[in-house]
Amino acid sequence: MRNSPPESPVSSISGQLPAADARAAITQLFESLRPDLLRFAHWLARDRAIAEDIVQESLTRAWTSRDSLKDPTAGRAWLLTIVRREHARLYERKRLELVPLEDIVETHAGPRPAEPDGDLFVLRDAIMKLPIEYREPLVLQVIGGFTTEEIARELALSSTAVLTRLFRARNKLRVICGMVAAPDVGASEAAS
Amino acid sequence: MNCEEARLLIGADPSASAPGLEEHLQTCPACSHFREEMRALDADIHRAMAHPPPAVRVRARPVPWRQWALAASAVLAVFALFAVWLLRPSDTLAHEVVTHVQGEPESWFATQHVSAQGIDKVLRGSGVQLDINSDRIMYAQSCWFRGHYVPHLVVETARGPATVMILRHEEVSAPQKFREAGMTGIIVPAGQGSIAVLARGVVGVDDIAAQMSQDVHWLPVTH
Repeated sequence: MRNSPPESPVSSISGQLPAADARAAITQLFESLRPDLLRFAHWLARDRAIAEDIVQESLTRAWTSRDSLKDPTAGRAWLLTIVRREHARLYERKRLELVPLEDIVETHAGPRPAEPDGDLFVLRDAIMKLPIEYREPLVLQVIGGFTTEEIARELALSSTAVLTRLFRARNKLRVICGMVAAPDVGASEAAS
Repeated sequence: MNCEEARLLIGADPSASAPGLEEHLQTCPACSHFREEMRALDADIHRAMAHPPPAVRVRARPVPWRQWALAASAVLAVFALFAVWLLRPSDTLAHEVVTHVQGEPESWFATQHVSAQGIDKVLRGSGVQLDINSDRIMYAQSCWFRGHYVPHLVVETARGPATVMILRHEEVSAPQKFREAGMTGIIVPAGQGSIAVLARGVVGVDDIAAQMSQDVHWLPVTH
């Protein structure tokens, strides 16, 4: 079941600290990771307002099950997993219509000075337009720092399928960046 | 490890390093070059994703429910036009009936029934007799209409007052409904002519017209 609460690491924070201190530690963890979570959700959802909703809902869920966070060093991965599942849940719950982004988003020809790293705007735009099946593992890997095996577990895919998706995602971006596409490789994608 | 396997690993994670991969790269310049390119690209990807995605301008895109709503609106518009066409004064007869009734607004507000003598006087020369209780007739006039004097009555019904004009000289081939000037009306073929029934507002007048068709007896024409 992809949307079950993420398994928690070793021993509970609240089991290690007095209750008030534990709450303060969790709150501090949430606050410190919030920008990362928001960026992660934003790249998944491609919409700032939706990303904020996802993060808010995720933090609420995380707070409710805070006792299950047993290793503070695993807090980032734990929260990112909750955010990813909340994003998946949102799309399942609302049955949002998935449309190719190029159908609804105006394409900009070149970098815009107002954007950070303006020279990367084309690449950022291309990442945004990747289909979710390619964008999601890439976001998990690049922003989340998840390994191939962790992504496979999270997405209920085989490791080979994850490798193929990541390869294809980067191969598409190669072309956008003016490089020659590498010959397609990888096996058919099978769920683990 | 062959080139395909090496490129799959490199493409999936350019920073990855595995004994088999490194061994292959030492003997394959093409795959080594591919890894260099992919590492450079990956550095850009990390830089690109270090910030939230770019703001996008979303074009208006008709979503399916809007398209359905649009289609439904078009169908409704067609039906509305069709209804207007059906309910239009089909010819000047209906329009003239409406205009005539508008010219006698006091007829709607009569509060006392007309005497039997008064009704006889109105019907005299009209070529019809009424099989209706005079208590229900609140207004009766013999009005000049299209070159003839015709009975103009206001009859009390369960749905309020209804104007009835007995048009011996006006033939219609089929019932004609109309809605005009805040009135709903129908002209039905009857006897040698027709009967016009009007009510204020949106009121079903078909059954009133049907009842009047039974209550009006047409006398033989005398020349």
